[in-house]
Amino acid sequence: MPGNKNIKLYSKNLSFFYGNNQAVFDVSIEIPQHSIVAMIGPSGCGKTTFLRCFNRMHDLYPGNRYQGEIFFDNQNILSKNIDVTLLRSKIGMVFQKPTPFPMSISDNISYGLKLNGIKNKTEIKDRVESALRSSALWKEVKDRLKLPATGLSGGQQQRLVIARALAVEPQVMLFDEPTSALDPISTSKIEELAAELKKKVTIIIVTHNMQQAARISDYTAFMYMGKLIEYDETNVMFTNPQEKLSEDYITGRFG
Amino acid sequence: MKQVKTTNFGDRFFSFFTFCAAMVVLVSLAGIFISLIFESWESLSRFGFFNFIFTDDWNPVKEVFGAAIPLVGTFITTILALLIAIPISLGIAVFITEICPSKLKAPLSIAIELLAAIPSIIYGMWGLFTFAPIMSEYIEPGLQFVFGDIPFIGPIFQGTPLGIDVLTASIVLSIMIIPFISSIARDTILLTPQVLKESAYSIGTTEWEVIKDVILPYSKFGIYGGIIIALGRALGETMAVAFVLGNRHAFPTSFFDATSTITVTLANEFTEADSNLYMSSLYLLSLLLFVISFIVLSFAKFIVHKGSKKWNG
Repeated sequence: MPGNKNIKLYSKNLSFFYGNNQAVFDVSIEIPQHSIVAMIGPSGCGKTTFLRCFNRMHDLYPGNRYQGEIFFDNQNILSKNIDVTLLRSKIGMVFQKPTPFPMSISDNISYGLKLNGIKNKTEIKDRVESALRSSALWKEVKDRLKLPATGLSGGQQQRLVIARALAVEPQVMLFDEPTSALDPISTSKIEELAAELKKKVTIIIVTHNMQQAARISDYTAFMYMGKLIEYDETNVMFTNPQEKLSEDYITGRFG
Repeated sequence: MKQVKTTNFGDRFFSFFTFCAAMVVLVSLAGIFISLIFESWESLSRFGFFNFIFTDDWNPVKEVFGAAIPLVGTFITTILALLIAIPISLGIAVFITEICPSKLKAPLSIAIELLAAIPSIIYGMWGLFTFAPIMSEYIEPGLQFVFGDIPFIGPIFQGTPLGIDVLTASIVLSIMIIPFISSIARDTILLTPQVLKESAYSIGTTEWEVIKDVILPYSKFGIYGGIIIALGRALGETMAVAFVLGNRHAFPTSFFDATSTITVTLANEFTEADSNLYMSSLYLLSLLLFVISFIVLSFAKFIVHKGSKKWNG
């Protein structure tokens, strides 16, 4: 669908099962590089489940099963011999609720760096700062880097979590309703941030907020009951949807 | 604002009843403390508090009593038991919560709780008749062989390994406190939010790194709490230790020396105390244990409270 753009990530006939329950049905989607793709759809439509396939988060729980393929830089990441740990450092994720680790603000960020084998203290310091700058948090926290991250406000915590994910320099970021627990001001800060981040990374964002999808995304995918109903450029999707279901959902007739 | 008072008899009776139930705790605590002071008064006035603590002689014949040896014995066995029990308990807790297949979880948890339900006298008998012989015949000579000639740590592996000694007592004690630490650690580890673990995995951490850097730090104050309960238990444990520590009034210089603790002295000598001063000195020992337990536990609680306030908001 999205023209002849550089495709960073795509799924091919992807289905997903929680035990015997199928949650995602045969979804094929292409994610162009340096774009923001919004996943919308009513609760329980499988958009979060679908998102979590991209960093194999489902592997953490027994009984989950993928079917089909996901290609990331032309490598099938669902194949058995993929190093999931390495994959997850390339495809970062931000969750619905902010999840600072029980450490200081700077340790939250340097933690991932140290895991990736960076030992040089000045380099760690620099990268902590640049991660905090790119998540627009540096000015607010530079004087309290050593204090517990739990002392930050919800919006700040969420930006810290984004900074933490950015510090390990992922190529793709998965946002799972990142603003649903935040106030409007924090939400708009995160949205601005996403628009800025797109220069460096490719973003897939699951959202319940249709205005948000319309505001920040380049492409929008509408899912319903585990199936991908429609996927198009965001302005086309919101002005001239092709499917009756997407039109009904976008105009608020159900959902 | 005026407080609204209920006139319903049932309500008033019920609140009075709960009040009384709560008071029982305070009254018995105060009662025990007062009677301990009262009973130990003779010894306290004869030897003085600090003199009693620092005297290492316990001689009923000459009527000289000092608590230094049982105090040291209590601390050594407690600390050794904690050193053994803490890593094992954390291993158990992490295994049950994060690693073991779900079918094994329930049986393992129940087995550990059963370990806590075994009366301490049974640990004592098992320690004396089964474990001590194994220690003296196999384990202790082996340890002596391996570590005995190493400079600095060699001396603490000297002596005749009889099996009735500091090491055996500490191990038996550690087995007794493992269920406390591990079950509380398990419960607090389970409280770690799933999404926190997921977000750690999402930046590319391995299972071990998530356990070490996220789960354990997140649940550390709960784990400290479990250690405190175990500490209290270890300080006061009597029967299990009495069987395998030997009740010898001398400072231990090696793992294979017999010594005594406050509780062991009390358990062994109450029936023999033939003079008022002897009896009163035993009471003074119990008062000492009471005060130590109180101080240690309140200090530890204070630390946990302060720490968890700082990090968990």
